[in-house]
Amino acid sequence: MNAPDRYERFVVPEGMKKVNYERDMKIMNAATFTVQREDHTIGNIIRMQLHRDPNVLFSGYKLPHPLQYKVLIKIQTTSQSSPMQAYNQAINDLDKELDCLKESFVSKCRRNKTTIKE
Amino acid sequence: MDNVSYQRFPTVRIREIKDDFLKFELRNTDASMANALRRVVLAEVPTIAIDLVEIEMNSSVLNDEFIAHRLGLIPLTSERAMDMKFSRDCDACDGDGKCEFCSIEFTLNVKCTSDQTLDVTSHDLVPSDQQYPVYPVGFMERAEYGGYEEDPPEQRGILIVKLRRGQELKLRAIARKGIGKDHAKWSPAATITFQYEPEIHINEALMETLTLEEKKEWVDSCPTKMFDIDANTEQVVVVDAEAYAYDDEIIKKADAMGKPGLVNIISREDSFIFTIESTGALKAADMFLNAIEILKMKLDAVRLSMETEENDDQFGELGAHMRGGL
Repeated sequence: MNAPDRYERFVVPEGMKKVNYERDMKIMNAATFTVQREDHTIGNIIRMQLHRDPNVLFSGYKLPHPLQYKVLIKIQTTSQSSPMQAYNQAINDLDKELDCLKESFVSKCRRNKTTIKE
Repeated sequence: MDNVSYQRFPTVRIREIKDDFLKFELRNTDASMANALRRVVLAEVPTIAIDLVEIEMNSSVLNDEFIAHRLGLIPLTSERAMDMKFSRDCDACDGDGKCEFCSIEFTLNVKCTSDQTLDVTSHDLVPSDQQYPVYPVGFMERAEYGGYEEDPPEQRGILIVKLRRGQELKLRAIARKGIGKDHAKWSPAATITFQYEPEIHINEALMETLTLEEKKEWVDSCPTKMFDIDANTEQVVVVDAEAYAYDDEIIKKADAMGKPGLVNIISREDSFIFTIESTGALKAADMFLNAIEILKMKLDAVRLSMETEENDDQFGELGAHMRGGL
């Protein structure tokens, strides 16, 4: 009867920011990104992509609670980079990777003479 | 500095492709990407499903809620779903779900007048609007003429309820776009799995120290037929590496026979074998393609806003200090 609406799991409430950035006050070049209404799907790919960046000293993500629909991504970098720069870079790289995957998949589908919707 | 990229270049090799089945190899990427794609196909690729049911007349043995639930689970052809709007952010109708951009109306009106039990199936759902091709799965393939009883079972549609003489079911249903995260009825996937590709190295030198009997015994110890013995050369050969269930049975057997290291199995961490089965709502290939598109949109949504970046720059001296005095 008092169950929350199902869409609360994936619709960001009005007035709430999708991504919040908070700098760590004790460690240099460290920050926490709070991403609202996302889960392991986004958290894990961003973390793993950050691991490929040699300037990233630490990156990890957590889902604080299954009923709090947000992920925390913690990043620490060397002084050559910044958490924000590393985060943006990771997203750009993942985006390009998906472009590449899409291209490869579409061309292979064509070769198999399969009609796909584009 | 800004030009460095740690991007990967994944490749795909399709093994088998049908409308509702797809098997392919995904290489040069990692498990996080494979799993993200799997999760997106399951829970975030949109389809169309019945979401609102108004029952006018129901004298069947099943209650209204039960029938509404059964209607919701019927897969509808959803090629249109990617271009449709979610009814909650449809501007044309303020989200009451009764406009052409976000909803499709169906009616069902069946009454049993014979002594024989009448099956109400998904084929009895009639779309009121013929403009867009949204039908229950299998609707277009149904036999046009020829009685219901003569139709092959797979063309009879999905059973909703059975009626006896005098019973009637009349209702109006509104189908909407949605995602599997909201309710599993919107998930386009029947199953979607990926596995690592196993790489099997047989230590040939050690293998030759076994007698034919021992080889047979070892080959037969594998619960999933991965190995066989070549009839001519009497050598053990790998026949189906992918049958390996990562159960370590043959490795244990080799140890038990006093031949540790007889075989070495590694799983390649950068290549995956995907199997996708569709409910029929979307083609399997479209499901995967839509998943890539959705994952891109999700990534785009989690980019930092300009405002956040500017606020950080304005952090001033303390910010500069925290960045290491640069």
